[in-house]
Amino acid sequence: MPIHEKSLIRPENLIEHKDLFIDGIDVSGHWSTFINSRALTDYDESMQEEIAALPGGENIHRCWQCGSCTNACTVNALNPDFNPRYWIYLIRNGMKQELLLDKDIVWQCVSCNKCTYACPRDVNPEGVMKATAHWLELKGHTEKKPSMIFDEGFSQQIIETGKIEDGLVIRQFFARTGQKLAQNWLVAMAIGLAKRLPVAMGIKMGFAAVFHPRTRGWSRARAAIKDYVHEREAANRKALGLPTGEDGR
Amino acid sequence: MSKPVLVVGGGPAGLSAAHALASAGREVVLVEKADRLGGAPILSGYARLVPSHEWARDAIGGMVDRVATNPLVKVHTNTTVATFEGDPGAFRATLKDGTSLDVGSAILCTGFTHFDSLNKPEWGFGTYEDVVTTTQVEQMLSTGSGIKCPSDGRAPDRVAILLCVGSRDRQIGREWCSKVCCTVSANLAMEIRQALPNCNVYIYYMDIRTFGLYEGEFYWASQEEYKVRYIKARIAEVTSDGKRLIVKGEDTLVKRPITIPFDMVVHAIGMDPNVDNMTLSAVFGVKLQKYGYIDRASTYSQMSGSSRPGVFVAGAALGPETIDDSIAQGQSAAMAALAQASLEIREAAE
Ligand SMILES: Cc1cc2nc3c(=O)[nH]c(=O)nc-3n(C[C@H](O)[C@H](O)[C@H](O)COP(=O)(O)OP(=O)(O)OC[C@H]3O[C@@H](n4cnc5c(N)ncnc54)[C@H](O)[C@@H]3O)c2cc1C
Ligand code: SF4
Ligand code: SF4
Ligand code: SF4
Repeated sequence: MPIHEKSLIRPENLIEHKDLFIDGIDVSGHWSTFINSRALTDYDESMQEEIAALPGGENIHRCWQCGSCTNACTVNALNPDFNPRYWIYLIRNGMKQELLLDKDIVWQCVSCNKCTYACPRDVNPEGVMKATAHWLELKGHTEKKPSMIFDEGFSQQIIETGKIEDGLVIRQFFARTGQKLAQNWLVAMAIGLAKRLPVAMGIKMGFAAVFHPRTRGWSRARAAIKDYVHEREAANRKALGLPTGEDGR
Repeated sequence: MSKPVLVVGGGPAGLSAAHALASAGREVVLVEKADRLGGAPILSGYARLVPSHEWARDAIGGMVDRVATNPLVKVHTNTTVATFEGDPGAFRATLKDGTSLDVGSAILCTGFTHFDSLNKPEWGFGTYEDVVTTTQVEQMLSTGSGIKCPSDGRAPDRVAILLCVGSRDRQIGREWCSKVCCTVSANLAMEIRQALPNCNVYIYYMDIRTFGLYEGEFYWASQEEYKVRYIKARIAEVTSDGKRLIVKGEDTLVKRPITIPFDMVVHAIGMDPNVDNMTLSAVFGVKLQKYGYIDRASTYSQMSGSSRPGVFVAGAALGPETIDDSIAQGQSAAMAALAQASLEIREAAE
């Protein structure tokens, strides 16, 4: 069959034969390209259920593929391969291999929620992006992404102290992602702040940076939040058929 | 005293016209080709109707009862009209069984014929037992026999519904949209999911036409509450690997060919013009429109008129129609027949 749209064929689907003769004719080498079938031969019905079981993914089955989310998307404007509509479709019909090809860009969602406002079916595509990134990570397809590391550091601090100290969040994030603290933009911002900030505010911030004060009576809240996070994590892993940790299952 | 009105066809439209006329004190002769009244919903054994969710046997059965027991309505079943002559106010009709009738006007409520899926052989009907039509699924539900693959009686794990079978298809000379099959299919998909919660239902579509208020209750609900899956693809072919049916086509949203196994494939069949329309056209002297449905005189000023004065028409005889609209048109045609009769009286008095 002549190839109309070469761009549709992925390099891994191109087959070249070294010594292939058909009816006495040499068809080896690049000039005569064979292509693996692209046909979709089955639907994997569990994938939608798994992602729907993760927070944010609950309404994925509502999607009618209008494309409003992709049209509205901040990241899609910069990277046309970032396509929430398309991923939602792949997930709904269980096209796992296709989704995995994009596994390293799904996490780039900046949670601006423009898609959420555009979606006529209240799918919450932003939530689906989060759930998908989470699914990829739990299933071991991706490493923890920077955005996840940031979120973790942020929430850890809140859980511990009931407060958030921005300086610490940033320092921890750079340390955990192996980046140097003295980023040019950060230095510029710190200098700018030092010049303009009222003195009392500066003192307050310095105090917080050094002593990490806690919200009063936080320990009970902390215990409850930790319980909840633990429960939620176990539920997520269970929904994906992964061992939940405690009893090794 | 004016002559009775002849109503031809005892489906939803004919039953509604007969009831309306009798309610206004007019005599009615109702001629029905089949052995009983009720039209497609009763003769083809539909299950729960769109949009009311009432069983066809209750909803349409109720309409049959009130007409059959009305002393002003004389019902002739198992027969058709052989000749029809005369002028408005004074027509004479003879039936196939020899009965001769003097009537003032006639209302054609002769409905539609189900599309015969054998005319789309590439979709496997007639070749594979587990390829069925929406009518068959309606019957599985209405008889209580359950959703089962006809080949071996197993409950299907996965069902495909193909929309627009015998509609919107120039290849087979059917350019119209049959109007209700999207909604009926969404409804059947929900019924299947309710009966067999582990069975996934896929609907293959070109567009979804669950018009008006059907959108929320049928299209959205089937997706949101029943997790019915909609795939934008017009199927090329239904084959079999010896065990299951294989549905082939192109998934247009991912630009990929699909060859997906299914246990059961359902054709959402359309509404053809009644196969009798050529005969009806000759007997009643009414024109047909270009697809073969009975032509209407005008869309607005006399909605129920045919091309012949004194002969009115209502329901799916005019083109694909829903039951509720057929009922409304039956009443509208009854009103037109009454108006014509009162005009005759006024003219006679002058
Ligand atoms: C699978 C399927 C499911 C459907 N489900 C729904 C639904 O849930 N809700 C809905 O609103 N609509 C539904 N419809 C549409 C519905 O069937 C029609 O709207 C309705 O039947 C039209 O009523 P009618 O009286 O005009 O015609 P019909 O129901 O076709 O009745 C015509 C009557 O005329 C008789 N007749 C025909 N020719 C002659 C003749 N020459 N002489 C004498 N009598 C004759 C026939 O035997 C029949 O009794 C469905 C359609 C299909 C195909
Ligand atoms: S929230 Fe994510 S997916 Fe949605 S528009 Fe913003 S970047 Fe795109
Ligand atoms: S906007 Fe909503 S319905 Fe439309 S494609 Fe995106 S998620 Fe689906
Ligand atoms: S109502 Fe839907 S299935 Fe029926 S012909 Fe129209 S578009 Fe096709």
